[in-house]
Amino acid sequence: MSFVLRVLVLIIPVSLIGLFFVLLSTENEYPGADYKIFEIPDFSLSNLNGTNKISNKDLEGDYLLNVWASWCITCMVEHPYLSKLSNNGIKIIGLNYKDDRSDALVWLNKFDNPYDLIIHDFKGTLALDLGVTGAPETFLVNNGKVVAHYQGEVNQIVWNEVFQPIINSKNLSLK
Amino acid sequence: MIVEISHFLALLATGLFFLVGCFSFIRSGNIYISNLISRTYSHAFLLLLTSFTIYVWLAITDNFSVAYIASHSNSDLPTFYKISSIWSAHEGSMFLWILFLAAWGFLFNRSVDNEVALKPLSIGIISIVLVGFLSFLLLTSNPFETILPFGPPNGADINPVLQDPALAIHPPTLYLGYVGFVIPFACALAFLINGNTEIKWEELVRKWSVSAWIFLTLGITLGSWWAYYELGWGGYWFWDPVENVALMPWLAATAFLHSISVSVKSSNLRIWTILLSISVFSLSLFGAFIVRSGIIDSVHSFANDPQRGLYLLAFIGTIIFTSMILFVIRLPMIRSAGSIKAFSKESFISINNILFGSLVFSIMLGVTYPLVYEFLFDQKISVGAPFYNAIFIPIVVIASIFLFFSIDSKWQRTVKMKFFAGPTSFSVILAVISVVLCIYFFNTESFTIIASLFAGFLIIHRYIIEIASSIFSKKYINPFSVLAHFSLGLLIVSIAFNSMLSTERAINIKINESESYMDLNIFFKDISLVNKSNHDAIKANFRIEDSFSNSFTLSPEKRKYFTRGQITTETAIYVTPLRDIYLTIGDQLEDGSWIVNIQINYLIRWIWISAVFMSFAGLMLIFSKQRQKI
Repeated sequence: MSFVLRVLVLIIPVSLIGLFFVLLSTENEYPGADYKIFEIPDFSLSNLNGTNKISNKDLEGDYLLNVWASWCITCMVEHPYLSKLSNNGIKIIGLNYKDDRSDALVWLNKFDNPYDLIIHDFKGTLALDLGVTGAPETFLVNNGKVVAHYQGEVNQIVWNEVFQPIINSKNLSLK
Repeated sequence: MIVEISHFLALLATGLFFLVGCFSFIRSGNIYISNLISRTYSHAFLLLLTSFTIYVWLAITDNFSVAYIASHSNSDLPTFYKISSIWSAHEGSMFLWILFLAAWGFLFNRSVDNEVALKPLSIGIISIVLVGFLSFLLLTSNPFETILPFGPPNGADINPVLQDPALAIHPPTLYLGYVGFVIPFACALAFLINGNTEIKWEELVRKWSVSAWIFLTLGITLGSWWAYYELGWGGYWFWDPVENVALMPWLAATAFLHSISVSVKSSNLRIWTILLSISVFSLSLFGAFIVRSGIIDSVHSFANDPQRGLYLLAFIGTIIFTSMILFVIRLPMIRSAGSIKAFSKESFISINNILFGSLVFSIMLGVTYPLVYEFLFDQKISVGAPFYNAIFIPIVVIASIFLFFSIDSKWQRTVKMKFFAGPTSFSVILAVISVVLCIYFFNTESFTIIASLFAGFLIIHRYIIEIASSIFSKKYINPFSVLAHFSLGLLIVSIAFNSMLSTERAINIKINESESYMDLNIFFKDISLVNKSNHDAIKANFRIEDSFSNSFTLSPEKRKYFTRGQITTETAIYVTPLRDIYLTIGDQLEDGSWIVNIQINYLIRWIWISAVFMSFAGLMLIFSKQRQKI
């Protein structure tokens, strides 16, 4: 009995502490990053102004696809960095996610518009097909194929660690 | 400039705590050394307190050159929220946590005589814990960092959800509970190191443990209440990982308090008492680790920083491992003198310890399993209510039945269980009648609910009989135990009723239309736009009539805060003793109707009230004069 107690008392905490050490030290530093490659699903949605339809054939070349919404606080935090990327000539397509059209337009007026094109996905159908779980999320697209997917705020660090290596290795031009 | 003084005082305090730790290992038993330890500790605490006070003053006076204050406070906030902004994020809340830890040590230091054998060593152990956490604070999450030359003029905008009185009080109360268990922990370790089994360390710490338990109980209750009315979660418990890590020390602490009531009398169950006192504090530390390492996603978790997590884990792991090693080495020494008699109060309390231990173990499993699973299979899963209900309900029902039979048991002797004696069988009959009435009136078929109702009613009726016999035949009862366990019965019954009767539905309703739901008639009067200084709100007015022809207005809101663009839902709740009517308003649909979510929550107030009663029982115990008799 006393032996069992001694062993239990030592083994339980030691194994728990060990477990957490393993979890913490191997934890992916960018848990939001995913490098699965898949094709952009077929879609046909209107643009944010509601004037034109946008479908796969309107999206060509290499670009970033950023999922955002006016109700999303982290998108606001992320926004200045997107503007900076856009000013550096990087092509960013916006996917406005489950958002009210007028709210989204007001939001862009207020914070400036870094997007080359904005898809209005009111029902979240395209986002669902892309595997979006919330906003903001960002996809790196190479000729119609997603090559990197990041959940959460993109900033300088994430850009350098998650996106830049792939852009360099695949020699993408996001202009 | 002033922040540097505050920073310096904190550093100085760390140094002094370190000295106390060193002094305490001079095992001379010399009274001068003891006095030295005691005084140095008090001075170190006063330095830390001054440092914190200066920090609070910096927050009140909008000193935004301090980076932490600049990013968590705003010049427009009322003073109350400027202060509470200090514990709204990791660095500041860690500072408060440490201050409370030191404060418990300080009070213990002031109220216990220097000649008490275990005191110098206990104070030393508390100081070592403090040095570890202060180093963690100053090295990895320094709240004193400054933005030079100038900070932002108005600070940042703080999350409106956090601007709430309940939330301003909830973390400090919870922290007071968590860290209060450092005293039984330190004394247990001091007892193990000292090795003299004659010393009654249990008496030294009982009052302190009960106080910490009260804060922990109230802290958890406040958190539950806040999530209900402010977050719009609409329930009282969600098995969120952070709720779980608060529940584990609470369960362990409850078992500890029962166990210590045995050890105080007869040194029986000493192994349990020591093991539990170490476990409670270890679980509190584990909670701090889970919340602050970012290992778990939860509404409560602070920003993720693996470096911080590793430091904390290394330190906490060392504390836990050292104390467990010490426990194992000293195990032969602390063997209980006498054996426990069957059907004595002690025997029931050991059963209770085992049951509560299993609960803690299952929660630990529920918290860690998803992490291990994700690590092995790279898939996120969540362990939720079904798992916990499947474990909690049977164990709580079994524990309640043991509690029921323990009422007639006596300390240190076997009393023949009289299953057919008056009070026992009478309360069983009453409980059966109550349950049958519930089944008849509410048509419930769920076995778990019937079992829980039976267990709850069993306890309630038994204690009512107990109270009656103390009034009419002057039978001695222990008022603290009666109140605490009666509240447990009330808690179980309230939870069972709540899950049996509460309903919710989302309805689509247009202005000037009526809808009926259950016995309620809901009339949508109008909707208005409200412009406030920091937000716009849509305010909907509903006129509601219930079957007792009470009629009242509920006005749920949707707010949009300007600076963050954050949208919050303000619930409208109509409170009656038996049920809450809880309205939230959602989006407008294309046909002009609004989505309105309506919940009827039965007896939900009584869940919190029973928890408050339990802490009140603890409070009575602390202030009772005849503590020795209990």
